[in-house]
Amino acid sequence: MKTYNIFLYEFKHFSRSKAKVFAFLLFVIASVYALYNGFNLQNKQQETLAGIEQKRQEGITKILSWYDEGKKGPEERPWIDITTPFWALWNLPTYAIKEPSPTLPLGIGQAEQYGYYKRVTNWSSVYDNDMVEELANPERLVNGNIDFSFLVIFLLPILLVIFTYNINGLERDLNFDKLILIQAGSTQKWILARLSFYSTILVATVSFFMLAVALMNNSLKSEVFTLVLLSTLYIILWTLVFYFIILKSHSSSSIAFKMISFWLIFCVLIPGAVHQLASIKFPVNYMTDYLDANRKETNEMSELPLDTLYTRLVINYPDLKKTKHGQDSIIDEEIINNSASSLVNQLNKVAIARIEQQNDAKNKFITLSYWYNPVSFVQNTWNSLTATDYNAYQDYRNNVQKSIDKKIELLVFECWNKRKVDKKTFENYLELLK
Amino acid sequence: MMKDIFVNEWKGLFRNRIFLYLTIFFVAALALVTWLGIIQNQKQIEAQNAAHNHIRAQWDEMKPSNPHGAAHFGSYAFKPNTILNSIDEGVNAVTGKVLRLEGHTQNDVVYSEASQSLLISKFGKLKPSLLFQFVIPLFLLFLAFKTLASERETGRLKLLLIQGISLRNLVFAKIFSIWVIGIVLLLFATLIQIVINLNQFNSDNVLRLFFLISCYGIYYLIITSLTVFISVVLKNSAASLALTIAIWVGWTIFLPKISGNAAEKLSPLPTRVEFQKAMDEDRSKGIDGHNPSGDRKKALEKATLVKYKADSLSQLPINFDGLVMQADEDYGNTVWDKHFGKLYKQLQSQKRIYQLSGIINPFSSLQNLSMGAAGTDMFHHLDFLKQAENYRRVFIKTLNDKMAFGGSKTGDWSWTADNAFFKSVNDFAYQQPSLSNNWSKYLIDMLVLLAWAVGLLALTNYSSKRVSVL
Repeated sequence: MKTYNIFLYEFKHFSRSKAKVFAFLLFVIASVYALYNGFNLQNKQQETLAGIEQKRQEGITKILSWYDEGKKGPEERPWIDITTPFWALWNLPTYAIKEPSPTLPLGIGQAEQYGYYKRVTNWSSVYDNDMVEELANPERLVNGNIDFSFLVIFLLPILLVIFTYNINGLERDLNFDKLILIQAGSTQKWILARLSFYSTILVATVSFFMLAVALMNNSLKSEVFTLVLLSTLYIILWTLVFYFIILKSHSSSSIAFKMISFWLIFCVLIPGAVHQLASIKFPVNYMTDYLDANRKETNEMSELPLDTLYTRLVINYPDLKKTKHGQDSIIDEEIINNSASSLVNQLNKVAIARIEQQNDAKNKFITLSYWYNPVSFVQNTWNSLTATDYNAYQDYRNNVQKSIDKKIELLVFECWNKRKVDKKTFENYLELLK
Repeated sequence: MMKDIFVNEWKGLFRNRIFLYLTIFFVAALALVTWLGIIQNQKQIEAQNAAHNHIRAQWDEMKPSNPHGAAHFGSYAFKPNTILNSIDEGVNAVTGKVLRLEGHTQNDVVYSEASQSLLISKFGKLKPSLLFQFVIPLFLLFLAFKTLASERETGRLKLLLIQGISLRNLVFAKIFSIWVIGIVLLLFATLIQIVINLNQFNSDNVLRLFFLISCYGIYYLIITSLTVFISVVLKNSAASLALTIAIWVGWTIFLPKISGNAAEKLSPLPTRVEFQKAMDEDRSKGIDGHNPSGDRKKALEKATLVKYKADSLSQLPINFDGLVMQADEDYGNTVWDKHFGKLYKQLQSQKRIYQLSGIINPFSSLQNLSMGAAGTDMFHHLDFLKQAENYRRVFIKTLNDKMAFGGSKTGDWSWTADNAFFKSVNDFAYQQPSLSNNWSKYLIDMLVLLAWAVGLLALTNYSSKRVSVL
């Protein structure tokens, strides 16, 4: 019997098996549902970001109207004076956002663990309270979402078990496996051909959904093709494992038991064990470094003499010497106080670098486990391609930090240059901090 | 008769080498996993204690300061781990661990473990709960499936029935003999837990542990009776195994996520932006502690002047600024109660939907009960947040009262309270709610789980009388 014929016979077998067709349809429906969830999250994030942009525009319009009307700020807060750089920048709404990636519907990853927008103020840091994730039911987060990556990485192998557990097993159960050998010539070839049929169906289905999402989101880019390649290799890997299980087993129940055990070991137990070991080696960080910088050290700094603060500011920004205040002989307390947030920013950055270093060490421990923990490798590679993994959010935090640095540097230099802020200058700030 | 079959079944199991190896593997794995769970939990508790002591020491060492400045300096509440977190960590990996407590603002709990690294396991850490929920049921499922299938395949079933044993007795003896294996494994893990943590166990923990084992025991009864029931009804061993595995996958992998998503759709939560906007709007209606022009402040000023029979704030024997701060806090607290109360109700409504999903998926009920017994479910998390907020209110009120009545005058922001005062402010200590006072929260889960067990035993009883096996 030719391989091609075995392949065709398998189609007949598949189409006549109600259980397999039902399982396949269930997987397709679940995929549609998972993609719907992904699109839902993407739309929700986009709507929230659109709302933030609208709020930002409203804020800008309000400040511009103050300049037009010759006001210095809101009437109920007379101490605000937007003609000074401090209050102009204080009121200038600046946001750092992480746009949802176009491939987000294909994998939610860790997106629900992090915030994706942040108002940048003179006192911001990347571990502020508003960097927190969206409101969500923690028990729902524990169970996770039905997203497409979960279906492919965890449920697809189970679908493959349902499709293939009786290949050669049924024949052995009914004692006509010898007949197969005579008819097919080679049991190995026969098993492989039958298995290939199912893996082909799965590769085609998964690729179809991925390409459909890419077309819907106008994002037919290298990430999507890499995802198609990754999922194809993943399916082939499981097919090969199941091939050897089938080859070495004597009945369909034995095959089913071994396949499910294999799934359990690689999808649940090994990642769970690595997770546990990582937690023992790197317990949850209570962020005391950051809390100290943000609270105690900031508090201590506020008690430092003016000249010490002046010197520290000049060390951080040597060009301050060239500014108007830099050439003054008397230190202006207000200018120094208005610049103090840059020193706090420095303290925060040092503490955050230590925290990120600890997180990186934990991540290194995780990535070193990939050679015996391949499912986590596939999962994190997938999340990386959909820009929903830890690294994607670390990049976002870096961008937030850059935004903070930029705003603070502008604040410090404008204060030291004793700039009088008019509408044009404010518009210039807007452009600089865009 | 049942007893003989039961004993015979156990003898048969222990004569089976594969079973013996698997049992040894499970015992060793349980011992290791339970021990590692305890180690991990202890490390976490140590880290939490260290962070807590570090922050408290900073408070105790505070120089003479203005009480309102101290309210801005604030404090932190670190979410503690319970002893039974080593068995089932529930929501603890995804919820934040640090809550800043300060004046004017109620913050979110932040810095979850899940946000501090790459994703590792979608099913959580390898803790005893992972073995209890995923591995042991699968082991029992295969044993239960095999026990009747092998009797049928070898023809022994016919022989036994001809000898006068009723199918009903045989089926139930097999169910209970397999179920007891699950119970033994549970008790073994519990024993290790108790031995290692002996000095840390109080009566509530013992009750929780007993409750936890009972819930898993009932679930194992459901798993074994379901498998045997399907084996009795379907006869075709491969088909019955496939169906049982499909149900197991549906229950443990698929349905919990579907139920969670459905609960979120049926009772949606606001986005953080919407939630904050609504709170800000309500808050802005009240007086702002730093905003002297609010109408409420004027009313408070008038009332205070009348109370102290004074003509101006400077004549007051107290510091009016402290009263303003506290009035702002009180208003903020009512806003918080309104919005967070609504949010917590919505979360509880989602939980109720999830609990009801136990009607089609007993695994959901088991998960709820397991987390609840371990003190790591959403109810306990919300309780921590409430206790922390209650502490924050007392903490800030103490500071505002000191500002108002401690001897300073209105407008005197340079006035300071001494270190002894700051030291005298009580520290935050989370008290885990006792299970005996909160069991009603888990009533639905308990009833659903029991109904599943009773229903399946009844079905098995019915089918073993009706189904022909010969």
